[in-house]
Amino acid sequence: MNPIIFNLEKLPDWFGVLPEIILLVFAALVIILDLFVSQKKILAAVSLIGIIASGALSLGFWGTELSFFNGLILTDSFAVFFKLLFLGVSFLIVLASEDYVNSFRRLQGEYYALLLLATTGMMLMAGAGDITTVYVSLELTGISLYALTGFLKDRKSTEAALKYLLLGAIASAVLLYGLALIFGITGKTGLGEIARAVQAQLSGSASVSPALFLGLVLLIAGFGFKIASIPFHMWVPDVYEGAPTTVTAFLSVASKAAGFAIIMRVITSVFAAPDWLARDWATVFAVLSVLTMTAANIVAIPQSNIKRMLGYSSIAQAGYLMVGLAALGSSPFPGALAGMSPAQSGVLFFLASYAFTNLGAFTAITIIAQKIGSDEIADYAGMGRRSPLLALALTFCLVSLIGIPPASGFMAKFYIFRAAVQADLLWLVIIAVINSVISAYYYLRVVKVMWLESPPSAEKVPSSALPTVSLAVSCLGVLALGTIPGLIMKLAEMVNQFMP
Amino acid sequence: MLAGYGLIGLFFIAVLIFSLALVVIPVVLRYLGIVPARPGGVKQSVFECGMETIGRTWVQFNFRYYYYALVFLALDVLFIFLYPWAMKLRELGAYGLTAAFILVLIVIIGYVYAWKKKALEWK
Amino acid sequence: MGLAAAFWVMAVFAVAAALLVVSLRNIFRTALALIVCFIAVAGLYITLSADFLAAAQILVYVGAISVLIILAIMMTREVRQGNPANRPLKLPVLAVAVVLLGLLVYVVVASPWQVSGTPPLAPTTGPLSRLLFGSQGYVLATEICAVLILAAILGAIVLAKEKEE
Repeated sequence: MNPIIFNLEKLPDWFGVLPEIILLVFAALVIILDLFVSQKKILAAVSLIGIIASGALSLGFWGTELSFFNGLILTDSFAVFFKLLFLGVSFLIVLASEDYVNSFRRLQGEYYALLLLATTGMMLMAGAGDITTVYVSLELTGISLYALTGFLKDRKSTEAALKYLLLGAIASAVLLYGLALIFGITGKTGLGEIARAVQAQLSGSASVSPALFLGLVLLIAGFGFKIASIPFHMWVPDVYEGAPTTVTAFLSVASKAAGFAIIMRVITSVFAAPDWLARDWATVFAVLSVLTMTAANIVAIPQSNIKRMLGYSSIAQAGYLMVGLAALGSSPFPGALAGMSPAQSGVLFFLASYAFTNLGAFTAITIIAQKIGSDEIADYAGMGRRSPLLALALTFCLVSLIGIPPASGFMAKFYIFRAAVQADLLWLVIIAVINSVISAYYYLRVVKVMWLESPPSAEKVPSSALPTVSLAVSCLGVLALGTIPGLIMKLAEMVNQFMP
Repeated sequence: MLAGYGLIGLFFIAVLIFSLALVVIPVVLRYLGIVPARPGGVKQSVFECGMETIGRTWVQFNFRYYYYALVFLALDVLFIFLYPWAMKLRELGAYGLTAAFILVLIVIIGYVYAWKKKALEWK
Repeated sequence: MGLAAAFWVMAVFAVAAALLVVSLRNIFRTALALIVCFIAVAGLYITLSADFLAAAQILVYVGAISVLIILAIMMTREVRQGNPANRPLKLPVLAVAVVLLGLLVYVVVASPWQVSGTPPLAPTTGPLSRLLFGSQGYVLATEICAVLILAAILGAIVLAKEKEE
């Protein structure tokens, strides 16, 4: 056996960020190759190879619990779970972009490179163990995504990029202020050190200092922007509508998952003790969750543009996810936050399920929009006859978003709601279930338009190979998570065993 | 250490007083009647300030300037990182050298890209 | 004593310049006021014994970012008079800003801050270089910043490129 395996303590620091380094090297390769090759398909292939290599290396850290660069970066199973999720998402996005990138003309190399850089940033976010790495990796992700949003260079896309940039900059300033306050009150930058300092300061007292309180509020606001929770969601409809559809898919899945990863790293584990502090932020998340679900579901009903509708739908999904966060904070299990918390594995499962589902829906929309040239729901009329398989896949994903078995959305909601009930949050679960029923209305409206209305033309909607593969993988993922969730839950629970 | 900045502060105050004096002295002299007021075409023309402008000065600038400003900004930020490293070059040793090398390498990729994409060229 | 006086002078300059930035109607003058604000903030850093940060502030903000802002204004046509559409929001914005200010002042005054017992370092560049590039410091964050600059160059050029065809 390799002696390195036995000498985990003596690993060189760069070893801990090997998956990110590989992805960065491939991003650089894409940038350089783009300058010399005219056949841009090669760039997609290079990106895919980079993603696979990075994923394979990430997998090697499964079950470890190491910290590198003096705690700047952690490699535990939690980080590996999210790294694989981000890599999987960007893999499917690259596949689904095969035809779509033609609308970027000469900017295809930049598209792939920025996609890889954004993924690198998210992977670093998942493994961040220090507020400095939290912030810079968040910015890396943000900058890449702002640029990706403006790739179509038409009026809507540019407006979307500008709005996203301005609001993102404000959110990042808010977050930075929060981090500064927390640093000021604890005097530490490492997440573990901050947790210990907070615990030491608050043991025996019954209230937090104003700076810690405000810092926590600002953190929730800053991260709330990332996960698009109401009232920090203002950017979502315009950005989702204006951005290239593949980028919208990436934003709605990977960026949101990264937001939840960082919330679970920074808020729910650092401020987990003492109990009353955890219950405090749990209440905040519960209130935000109710606001988010209800408002987003009601506003989604009159939408006529499917990208906009899915934008509001993704806000609502963040609401359901926050039920899990609320359960995480008010969990009655003593000390359950770090260990085998069903709420945390529920959130992880929901994120995986949501990733497949939303990716599937957006891939289907990308393929359809390529052919019919429209994102209006009314133009989807008769899609069931023009392209049965495509319509079936989209229907399946929408059904999963509602939360109907056998699609994975049902199991995902089931796990989170069960955890919430165990945490004495029955009222929140009831509101969430009512919301699911409301949401069925606008999802099923699309289904109705596709299957029951007559098509304007009998022309088939063909699709090219790679995006179809991407769609098929997504749908298989939704089906697998929905029918054999036990396997995945086991993995998610293993993740929890290793959370600090 | 801070006394040094005090000197800079004094310098700024001196600069302020000097430049204000240049503006105020003629006004005061004129007010006291020491200097007669005889405005004329030659007296009011710009003196040693370049050509007289023709048309409006607020023309729309070519956006190509923007590329240079952007690339310059990136270089500026890189410099902020490299300066402290250069200060303690010996002390930081090979570790610091490697770190700085990687830092420059990553940014250089961006410059090669900007160069090859002809962002730095004036068409 | 002199230090405190310098701090307050700089603080007054910074706040006054910032108020000018939000209240002036001519966007070019706004940019100039912003530069004054940047310089005053650099002065604040000096009084707080952060000399390298002050130099960085002058170099990046006063030197580069203000150039970028002024260039951006010169490249646009006839937008120098600000946006009249925002005028009805003036009072609500003022109210929110005042409440936020009150909140922040309360937080700063009422919190038990961690105060380091060691005297301030001078100059700070040496210790900073150990933090940025030393094996016991934040070298990974420094490298991520380089990747950030790379992404920013890519993104900026993509967005600034004119649309083809």
